[in-house]
Amino acid sequence: MIIGLSLPAHAVEEITGLIIMQAVDDNQRATNDSSFTRLKLSSCKFGVNKGRIACAESPRVKVLESVAVNYGASLKDTKSVSITIEPASERGIGMLTYSYDQEDRDNQTWLYLSALGRVKRIAGGDSEGDTEPASLFGSEFTTEDTDTGKLTEYQVNLLEETTRSKRAVWKIEMIPNQARAKKSRYSRTVHYIDKTRYVALRSEMYDKYGKEIKRSVASRVELVNDHWIARSVTMMNLVSNRLSNMALIKIYTDLDINDDFLTQRTLTDTAYREATLKQLRAQLD
Amino acid sequence: MEKLLLSLTGMFAGAPSKVLRFRRSVLLVLALVSIVMFHAMATRTTFNLSSEAFMNEDSPAQLSLEEFRRQFGSDRSVYLIYRPLDGDVFSAASLSAVQSLTNDLENWGDLDNSGYPEADLRELIHIRRVQSLTNLRVQNSVGDALISERLVPIKLPTSQVELSEIKARALSEADYVSSFYAADGSYGALLLQTDFGTEAIDSYTSALDSDTVELDDSFGDFDISFDEQAVVQKIEFKDVNPLDYLAFNDALEAVYNQYADQLEYYAVGEPSLMSQLQGILEQLKLLGYLMVLIFALLLWILFRSASALLWPLVTIALSVSWCWGITVLLGIELSSMIGLTVLLIFSVGIADCVHVMSAYFSFRRGGLDHHAALTKSYEKVGLSILLTTLTTAAGIMVLASSNLEPIRVFAVMCAFGVVLAFFFTIVLLPILLDFWHPTAVTEKGSTADKLGLRWQRLSNKVKVIMGLISAALVFVSLGLLIGAFINAVILLTYWIVNSQTKILARVPLIVERSPRRIMAIFAAILILCCYGATKIVIDTNVAGLFKDDHPLAIALNVVDNNMSGSQNMEVMIDTGTTDGILDAQLLIAVDNLQTSLEERYPDTIGRTYSLANIVKDTNQIMNDEDPDFYVIPNSNQSVAQLLYLFNSANPEDRRNLVSDDYSRSHISVNSKSMGSYGYQKMFIEVEQEITAKFASFKTTYPDLEIVLTGTMATLMVVSDEIAKSQFNGFALALLLISLIMIITLGSLRGGLMGMIPNAIPAFLAIGLMGLFGIPLDTDTLLIAPVILGIAVDDTIHFMTHYRIELTKSKSVSIALESAIREVGQAVLFTTMIIGLGFAVLSFSDYLGMAKVGFFGSLSIFVALLCDLFLIPAMIIVFKPTFGVTNVDTQIDFKGVNA
Repeated sequence: MIIGLSLPAHAVEEITGLIIMQAVDDNQRATNDSSFTRLKLSSCKFGVNKGRIACAESPRVKVLESVAVNYGASLKDTKSVSITIEPASERGIGMLTYSYDQEDRDNQTWLYLSALGRVKRIAGGDSEGDTEPASLFGSEFTTEDTDTGKLTEYQVNLLEETTRSKRAVWKIEMIPNQARAKKSRYSRTVHYIDKTRYVALRSEMYDKYGKEIKRSVASRVELVNDHWIARSVTMMNLVSNRLSNMALIKIYTDLDINDDFLTQRTLTDTAYREATLKQLRAQLD
Repeated sequence: MEKLLLSLTGMFAGAPSKVLRFRRSVLLVLALVSIVMFHAMATRTTFNLSSEAFMNEDSPAQLSLEEFRRQFGSDRSVYLIYRPLDGDVFSAASLSAVQSLTNDLENWGDLDNSGYPEADLRELIHIRRVQSLTNLRVQNSVGDALISERLVPIKLPTSQVELSEIKARALSEADYVSSFYAADGSYGALLLQTDFGTEAIDSYTSALDSDTVELDDSFGDFDISFDEQAVVQKIEFKDVNPLDYLAFNDALEAVYNQYADQLEYYAVGEPSLMSQLQGILEQLKLLGYLMVLIFALLLWILFRSASALLWPLVTIALSVSWCWGITVLLGIELSSMIGLTVLLIFSVGIADCVHVMSAYFSFRRGGLDHHAALTKSYEKVGLSILLTTLTTAAGIMVLASSNLEPIRVFAVMCAFGVVLAFFFTIVLLPILLDFWHPTAVTEKGSTADKLGLRWQRLSNKVKVIMGLISAALVFVSLGLLIGAFINAVILLTYWIVNSQTKILARVPLIVERSPRRIMAIFAAILILCCYGATKIVIDTNVAGLFKDDHPLAIALNVVDNNMSGSQNMEVMIDTGTTDGILDAQLLIAVDNLQTSLEERYPDTIGRTYSLANIVKDTNQIMNDEDPDFYVIPNSNQSVAQLLYLFNSANPEDRRNLVSDDYSRSHISVNSKSMGSYGYQKMFIEVEQEITAKFASFKTTYPDLEIVLTGTMATLMVVSDEIAKSQFNGFALALLLISLIMIITLGSLRGGLMGMIPNAIPAFLAIGLMGLFGIPLDTDTLLIAPVILGIAVDDTIHFMTHYRIELTKSKSVSIALESAIREVGQAVLFTTMIIGLGFAVLSFSDYLGMAKVGFFGSLSIFVALLCDLFLIPAMIIVFKPTFGVTNVDTQIDFKGVNA
């Protein structure tokens, strides 16, 4: 049976937006379990030619390798480490993140700048939780766009069942509650969820004035380790006319990853990091 | 030439009877066209009141500003300074008020508009970001943690110890001091970024809104190619209507005034400045009504006839509406110059009518019947009116060479309006006068005459008492200043009305007694004015546009004295190379430039800010707050990684400072209010410094471009350009008018002689301003050709009449005495009407207009003195005959008067 491709039995008759988004969220999280990914982030100014959206300039490319493991009873906590491979000026920048499903527990992030040889724990400071969403590696994606969980902080409405990119989709609207709205750049997000694959094919983000400011489009939806995922997601910033494409150029799950790898040592100890990554790559072969 | 002039005079003499013969057809045609014009005015008028309407869209300054906005967003922010009434920005009460205000402005949508009845809070939609002491963030390194936290916690502390800690921490943040709070904690500031100037035009739709647009297939691959043919949609920005600023400012004021019991405000920035200017325009409108009222009252009192009041106003109203209507029918947008346009057409039109009415009145009271008086009047003044129309139009048309669209439109509209005023004076006024005309002495007196007679019958005691009561009433109702002015107008009018004949009769005698002394006095004035003109500084200063006690002048003063300065300019750096800005050496040069600017202009530049500040700050933080690391690291990789951290933490702030491909960035420079002259000088020096500091980078970055831009700076530079071009235009106008005078008077000596009485009033304003150290700004310079055009009118009337009389009488004495007597009255009346009308503008809070009013009116009165005293003195001394032969040059006014 393919996990995530069917809804819980009790919900089948009474399908709601929240249930659908929960399934999408679970599906997305499942791909993180003991995974090793090679991620390519391409950013550029975009234009349109003959009805096709394309980069109008040579894209800026960043390549990262990321290792993630899910923990906890329901595998809803995640530890991950990402190392920048390209460009040369940013090579070796590392980020270690422990994210927790529990709402009252703050995520933890450590950043390593290789040129300075320093690790710093990134802290929100006051615990008032009004930190603004940060950009993901300087791209058009923000932490808010890739967040999982926290669905209870939204009012989720199933707007309609329709088609998008020739596939049957649910059109779902997510409106943040007051607490969430303070941390969010979006007043409303509309997702088009593939009804059979539980992947957001398209998402539209609106600012507080109701104007669409960002749009993400999924391409290359593939089955990876029993989960459908979009291996290429493009986020378009409609205000600046820039886009970032996040491509999972390699993804492997269910790997044997040592817990020690997901510590600060991986950031600072290049020899250790490279040796471990070599072992991981060997598992793929 | 003489023949031509005589035939023209004959033609004008015959004009009234010709138009009266076809009066029905003429009126029908004029009425129909007027309806079309009124309709066009009502339906087709579009205004572009934006200050940038004055800027040439293709000028390098404007292009770089547009590019700046496209890249870094709107630079039209409101800088709202506040002074806590308890004197301490860091007190619990002040912090609480500012926090609530910040929250209200950030979340204005949550406010209940019924609590703000005087404003529409939806206007606050233009706010893009609000920054204040209560939401600023600072990054600190504590142990192994990099903490980004608020300078002031959301839950405000109440203990004095905690508040003191906040204050100490805030004052240690060098980049925030003087920007968000003064170093002594007495003033604070909110910075409101807006979308003014970067709003897409209404017809803009994103290319992505189309259902047929899809992502390119390459996004499905992992190797994204780029398409050189892909068109990046360029957003066309909407022009900002100053009325939008006004509505925005009203809403903003309504919100911040909720905290007025704790905070006192001083708002600066373009939205505030422009909305204050709107307030000034409202005041100008009131002054405009007062002007028309004075025009009308003076016409009525001077001519003692209601028809003399009504018909000139109808004639001028039609001139203005035709000129306006045709302009908008041609699809031309009107600008804020329309006020000055109407004023000029009004002044010239009034002068035309007054000369006709004065002549008509004189002939009627001399015993001629209506038709004969009409014919004689047009014979007498027709040619002069034509000449004054030509000279004024030519003087104004000089401005049409300006490269600024609104000034070109102003010039063409004024010239056309002046021609229309002439047309209506010739074609319409005789018909109107035929319907209803001023009465002759023998006929039943007018209401004004009757009132005058009643007044004469009163005893002196009653007259004094009534005069004092009315003066007191004027003071009570209009205030001290305007009251004093109106009372002075009444007294002057009273004196002129009662003594004009005596005054004009005495003039030739005074001149005859000592013509050389009179010439010497005027020569001294001219020399003094010329000397003053050499001292003039062409300078436009925003702070100097308003009276010292005007809220905006006070606000600018507060910002300049307590914060980093009310003006902003940007040094835009374009390396032309992706990642060029990540070059450590380039950033070091940027940092050096900032230091050098701050050191070179310590009294002017309050603050500079760029990516270099971010890099230095982040470097220090990453190195455990060690002050030795507050430098730009030497390695490009270190710079890249420090900016990586900044970009991850706050992409929006990063985007405000550097382009996405890191090829372009900018240095923001806050400076204190300074005139365009000072700016221009500073710009040249800064540009030299930029060239010196960045020359060596041209090898690595051949496309490197560094330009100075920013709204205020650009406006200053453009103001200076306008001022300089108008100054040259003024000189050209003087030359053109002289040429016309020489040609029409048929004599080089006569023409040049005629120009001296015009040169004095024209140079008077400039000379006096130079002597008193008042800079010549854009407003004063725009009015200079207007004053010249008006001043020259009376001289032409005088000289033309003198020449015609000389031809007829062959006697200098008779011709001169006749000119003083016949033209003198009309010149006296037009000077009274236009001069006093202009003087009303002196009460404007907007010093640009006040100066125009004051110096304009002064020049007009001095022109009168020139016409009445200087011209006769010169004629007596030089005895010009304008080519007329067998002239008796003997001067004997006593004999003539007898």
